[in-house]
Amino acid sequence: MSVAQPLPHDAARLHVTGAARYVDDIPTPRGTLHLAFGTSPAAAGTLTALDLDAVRESPGVVAVMTAADLPFDNDVSPSNHDEPLLATDAVHYLGQPLFLVVATSHGAARRAARLGRATIEKSTPILTIAQAEAADSRFEDGPRVYARGDVDAGFADAPHRLSGVMEIGGQEHFYLEGQAALALPGDNGDMHVHSSTQHPSEIQHKVAEAIGQHMHAVRVETRRMGGGFGGKESQGNALAVACAIAARATGRPCKMRYDRDDDMIITGKRHDFRITYDVAYDDAGRILALDVRHDTRCGWAMDLSLPVADRAMLHADNAYHLPAVRITSHRWKTNHQSATAFRGFGGPQGMLGMERIVDHVAHALRADPTAVRRANFYASGGDISGQKIQTTPYGQEVDDFIGHEMLARLEETADYAARRAAVDEWNARGGVIRKGLALTPVKFGISFTLTHLNQAGALVHVYADGSIHLNHGGTEMGQGLFQKVAQVAASRFGVPMEAVRITATDTAKVPNTSATAASSGSDLNGMAVRNACDTIRERIELHLAQLHQCRPADVVFKNGRVTAGGADYSFAEVAALAHQARISLSSTGFYKTPEISWDRIKGHGRPFFYFAYGVAAVEVAVDTLTGENRMLRADILHDAGASLNPALDIGQVEGGFIQGAGWLTTEELVWNDKGALRTHAPSTYKIPACGDRPEVFNVALWDGENRADTIYKSKAVGEPPLMLGIATLMALSDAVASCGEAYPDLHAPATAEQVLAAIHRARGA
Amino acid sequence: MYNFDFVKPATVDEAVKALADDEAQALGGGQTLIPTLKQRLASPSKLVSLTGIAEMKGVSKQGDAVVIGGGTTHRTVAEEAASAYPGLADLASRIGDPAVRNRGTIGGSLANNDPSACYPAAALGSGATIVTNSREIAADDYFQGMFTTALEEGEIITEVRFPIPQKSAYAKIAQPASRFPLVAVFVAQYGDGVRVAVTGASNNGVFRWSEAEAALSGNFAADALDGLTVASDDMIGDLHGTAAYRSHLVGVMAKRAVAAAS
Ligand SMILES: Cc1cc2nc3c(=O)[nH]c(=O)nc-3n(C[C@H](O)[C@H](O)[C@H](O)COP(=O)(O)OP(=O)(O)OC[C@H]3O[C@@H](n4cnc5c(N)ncnc54)[C@H](O)[C@@H]3O)c2cc1C
Repeated sequence: MSVAQPLPHDAARLHVTGAARYVDDIPTPRGTLHLAFGTSPAAAGTLTALDLDAVRESPGVVAVMTAADLPFDNDVSPSNHDEPLLATDAVHYLGQPLFLVVATSHGAARRAARLGRATIEKSTPILTIAQAEAADSRFEDGPRVYARGDVDAGFADAPHRLSGVMEIGGQEHFYLEGQAALALPGDNGDMHVHSSTQHPSEIQHKVAEAIGQHMHAVRVETRRMGGGFGGKESQGNALAVACAIAARATGRPCKMRYDRDDDMIITGKRHDFRITYDVAYDDAGRILALDVRHDTRCGWAMDLSLPVADRAMLHADNAYHLPAVRITSHRWKTNHQSATAFRGFGGPQGMLGMERIVDHVAHALRADPTAVRRANFYASGGDISGQKIQTTPYGQEVDDFIGHEMLARLEETADYAARRAAVDEWNARGGVIRKGLALTPVKFGISFTLTHLNQAGALVHVYADGSIHLNHGGTEMGQGLFQKVAQVAASRFGVPMEAVRITATDTAKVPNTSATAASSGSDLNGMAVRNACDTIRERIELHLAQLHQCRPADVVFKNGRVTAGGADYSFAEVAALAHQARISLSSTGFYKTPEISWDRIKGHGRPFFYFAYGVAAVEVAVDTLTGENRMLRADILHDAGASLNPALDIGQVEGGFIQGAGWLTTEELVWNDKGALRTHAPSTYKIPACGDRPEVFNVALWDGENRADTIYKSKAVGEPPLMLGIATLMALSDAVASCGEAYPDLHAPATAEQVLAAIHRARGA
Repeated sequence: MYNFDFVKPATVDEAVKALADDEAQALGGGQTLIPTLKQRLASPSKLVSLTGIAEMKGVSKQGDAVVIGGGTTHRTVAEEAASAYPGLADLASRIGDPAVRNRGTIGGSLANNDPSACYPAAALGSGATIVTNSREIAADDYFQGMFTTALEEGEIITEVRFPIPQKSAYAKIAQPASRFPLVAVFVAQYGDGVRVAVTGASNNGVFRWSEAEAALSGNFAADALDGLTVASDDMIGDLHGTAAYRSHLVGVMAKRAVAAAS
């Protein structure tokens, strides 16, 4: 069976040889036009005039469009209809598209776009949390508050109490392939769009609105993305819509891709957060009451900020049982790029807040943070011995917790106790280089919190020669979804992988899909494909059972053969046989996640089908004179349930961990006081590279299966490992803490300068 | 890109003639100039490539100096100066990334005098002589503030002469994204005293830290620098680091260089 095999990514060879086709590689028809946006030079104000004469006269320019030229809806928002494709009068951030240039080449369009002259009556931009709070510039009418237990009583009775504030920076997605779209106009108003998107159905929806058509006139196709990370969930809308509008206006194919600087300046990023906490705890570090406040800058448009900020609240407990807790979340509207989905979708920020609190408590007690973590863990899922199952602050039962077992295993395999002693001994010598070690857990909820998104469709054809055409609503962004789902299909039919052809995501094949997001790709689409395959297989079984006088259940699909009542066929023979018997060899499949329900206003319910777990132990070294730091070793144990493909899953764990560590160390977004993003290229914004990974890097998968009934008992693996990177920041905090008595109060990202400042704080300087 | 003429002379004389045109500019490895052209921050009508001039290439030891042709790449310096002047070779080996080192040249780096470039620290820290097609310029006279040098229009750096120190080292804390120095210090000990040159730190470009030189000339040891600081007033404060952090790093890098000197 192909499921559970560590097969390479289906397109690995194409990726590394450059033969894999991305949107910008698709051969375009003659006469294809190219697009570029002219963008706002100011972060806030009123657009009073737009002089585009020089743009129109620039060589190669075919058309120039402003908001006034848009035929229908001027909106590319995924949620709130508050994101005009092109600014009308108000300007909301520096980099906001003001006009659209359509030209004969990419270069001509970009050059011309620079020649626009916008007159903007500037107003004072709202950039900081303080400014937003003063102006009450926010999304929703007030903060969301989720609470349970008597927080005030918890504080009143507690033996210890402390408070603190942590700043957490945002993060640029830095997908290798930038945003891109290509629109090919058809007859009768039809539009065929190739888009580098995680959400083809949304592209279809927004394009239809923008060109005044129903969704049936728009077909969106996505073969693959060169990375998405959430950055292509809503951020691709602008390009696809612009291409469709220009294609409709000119009758010619239109293509748009952002240059890297434009991409970073125009598109949204991970939300930055400030976490303010007040915590009561006992002598063992057990948390008795917690009052935590989240402040996040959402940028100019609502986008996905509400569910992102909700998910931060839903992970404010991480792996710890909090008897009395109040989580207050403020979503500030500021004059920045619209902060958007990013791997973890707010979960990492909420979880980091909690890990910081535990770290602070451990420091105050002079206790080993790992002991404090363990003391606060949820009870083991298997061990409910008559007691009530513990619940999260939002009322979901934690019945599958395996943190204790995973922590114990990792302590053993990573030789934690001995290394803890060695690090302490090293630091006791008081040298310039200090070491730090931390072991942090991840508990991440799997499902879209917007319940209706938890559905997926698939379309499977078996051709008369036994080859299989596979299609589903999930998109491939390098994560290996297509391969995992193909393994499911091959397993259902008992055929080798070569029999299954993976095809581009296409709204004409599977409609009304959800974004490939929330780590749900394999869970949802794997199930939908299974259901489609099983429908076809059952039809074949019935036919063969009749033919050979056996029970349908006795028909066996295995190793490319099908046996029934003593007969033995190749799968191709069976397909031909079924075709001759006029049996339909094509089926759709559908799946919806069971058992979930969620009230986001009350903050109560079961938003998640299950939790995915992980633990990471990271050792770092810090130069206390400069703050320079690096990881020395990382040991990871991650729970992918019964893995559909351990090779791909380990790849996701490695990549997720490194991306998380990058977020918390070197990836620093800097805006100046005018709201201009100063870090908009790899020369100023540092993502981790191969050389930044720890020299010793041990990644293993936990060998349990999912308790929930998921596809082959596997677990989602896209987002959870990112949060393993929190161990890196906590290890840095540990190293810095060895420099003095005070709490280091380390903020993220822990750049060298930030670490040095924390060292000064630890020393009480 | 836009349209320009391109010539590739074989001798310094031809290059000087080609550069006599008003709008002509010399092209070394292009690692700075080409991006500048792409951003339209410069638009010469003619580029005079210096990469075909054999007499401007190579590393040789002449007496107690290492002489490096103005068109020599960072990589060649890293390899060929290693035995004669290891501190200098080490500096060259840590500039940017392999692509930059394979193309970029010492002449281009010194002519550009980026306030965060590496070579200016070595030249100033060694008391090097910048030799051009028409004269010789002492490093102390050559660097005149960020992106400003004593070079005249059309003047070509043909070679750079570095007196070989008894000991030297270059300590650099790299800005992680570009690998340019956030702050770097070159320290060289000569028979007649120690030179300490600092790059990446000051708004005025590379400079000599004279207090440190005095202290080290008396006692060439890292702790001779204890208590010495540079004021943060003139330090660069930007997205990569504050002025205060940079001034702190000057002291740390200087000590690190002294400790590493060999
Ligand atoms: C990614 C990246 C990282 C880098 N990191 C570093 C770093 O860590 N440290 C560092 O020091 N530098 C770094 N650099 C800059 C690099 O060292 C360049 O090579 C150098 O600054 C310019 O050399 P060039 O030969 O490429 O000059 P060019 O770009 O060709 O020219 C630069 C200027 O010098 C002039 N010029 C060139 N040659 C001569 C000559 N012989 N005589 C007179 N004028 C001349 C040109 O007219 C032009 O004005 C980096 C560059 C990049 C792109």
